[in-house]
Amino acid sequence: MKIAKHVLIGPVIVLVVWLLVSELKLIDAFFLPTPRETITELVKLFVEGTIMKDMLFTLQRMGIAFFIAGVMGIPLGLLLGSSRKLYESFEFVIDFFRSIPATAMFPLFTLVFGIEDRSKIAVTAFAAGLIIIFNTAYGVMHTKKSRTLAVRLMGATRLHIFRFVSFWETLPQIFVGLRTALSLSLVIIIVTEMFIGTYVGLGRRIIDFQYIYNIKGMYAVILLTGILGYLINVIFIMVEKRLLHWTEK
Amino acid sequence: MTIAIAVKNLSKHFGKEVLFQNLSFQIKKGEIVAFIGPNGCGKTTLLNILSGLTEKSEGAWEIKEGKPERLSYIFQNYRDSLLPWRTNYKNMALPLELQNVQEKQIEKQINEIQGIFEEKIALQNYPYQLSGGQQQIVAFARALVNKPQVLFIDEPFSALDYKNNLLLRKHLQQYYTHYKPTILIITHNIEEAVHLANKIVIFSEKPARIVDIVENRQAYPRTVAFLRSRKYTKVREQVLSAFQKVAGI
Repeated sequence: MKIAKHVLIGPVIVLVVWLLVSELKLIDAFFLPTPRETITELVKLFVEGTIMKDMLFTLQRMGIAFFIAGVMGIPLGLLLGSSRKLYESFEFVIDFFRSIPATAMFPLFTLVFGIEDRSKIAVTAFAAGLIIIFNTAYGVMHTKKSRTLAVRLMGATRLHIFRFVSFWETLPQIFVGLRTALSLSLVIIIVTEMFIGTYVGLGRRIIDFQYIYNIKGMYAVILLTGILGYLINVIFIMVEKRLLHWTEK
Repeated sequence: MTIAIAVKNLSKHFGKEVLFQNLSFQIKKGEIVAFIGPNGCGKTTLLNILSGLTEKSEGAWEIKEGKPERLSYIFQNYRDSLLPWRTNYKNMALPLELQNVQEKQIEKQINEIQGIFEEKIALQNYPYQLSGGQQQIVAFARALVNKPQVLFIDEPFSALDYKNNLLLRKHLQQYYTHYKPTILIITHNIEEAVHLANKIVIFSEKPARIVDIVENRQAYPRTVAFLRSRKYTKVREQVLSAFQKVAGI
């Protein structure tokens, strides 16, 4: 994959600013290690092996939550989007829950699902699912009428129209929802890992390192989380471009 | 001669706005009829009513010759009526697929229809990989693949350059001379109407009524040379005079 040079400008500026601020000791070195120290610490965490387990647990929780959100969100979105009246009946509920930060719902979910992984996965699936439902329904409602009419004239039933037109027309918007939901899933899982009920996970590691003042370790795990989120997004975009080859033409 | 389409006292209004009222006419089997009239006089709505896409307000109409599955419609905006996620072959095959035609038969019919068009289309490519003219050929081929007995065409050449416009007129005549369907075509272009139709119906401004019907009994296929002939000029003059009265210019 070829990367255009200008894409690197932003990351290089951030790195240079970080380097200058830390090397010139504009912020206390204890609270802001240099990029080199942070990367060295990250390599050390990988060599020792502890961070791999944290990463795998976080990714597993995120994967399960995202899967549940997709499996429930896409069909529900398709159903709600198929009728404007039906969507409008639930629009308030969706927007209401979308407006509440997922972390505010976490205590409620721990009451229902307990303090272990189930509540973390459930709250993440809930928040990500709402994003997928909203985007999928929006996609269905905004399909091009001309294509539906063209296929209807060929004698297509409602099921045919869904199978040959509406579903495909909705796919780009479904993917917008999935991509947003995927990023959100990682964020919520990391935050809920910081709260309660686990001894393993990237969120747990960040908060533990902060408690014991291992600031270099804390920065290293934050950096790793950012890299993970970015890579997941890049892989998703690559899959999306391959599957939805017609969208940018 | 057998009547293919009969329209009696047909009216369409949107609220208090009357688009047309008490329209009555008959179209004979195997005729090409062109509708000409000012913008907004309801030509497309009339076509949509006859094809079953829009509800009439009052009156009656009947397609006397032609089964519903042997009725095709070619839309003005071919880009928005083709399905970009399907290959050109799959786009052409869709009407037959909806009628559960066997794959071998589909292949045979697509080859047959491709024979009419001189330009060979890369069937395994997608519509977005084709030029505008080629995309319109795919749209035509899709409409003709099930050998329609009645064909509705809404301004099919308006988005094409003159060369492709003439080429498609030629292809349409090839299909017509071979299969003799009844064709109803909407156009804003008097040249297209006189070139293709053997009856040209001129509509007035809204609320639309039929101002004149010009007969154009020339043999098919009508080549480009026909556009230089006296017969062409004579019919064109008649249509232009009628249109001038309608437009008040």
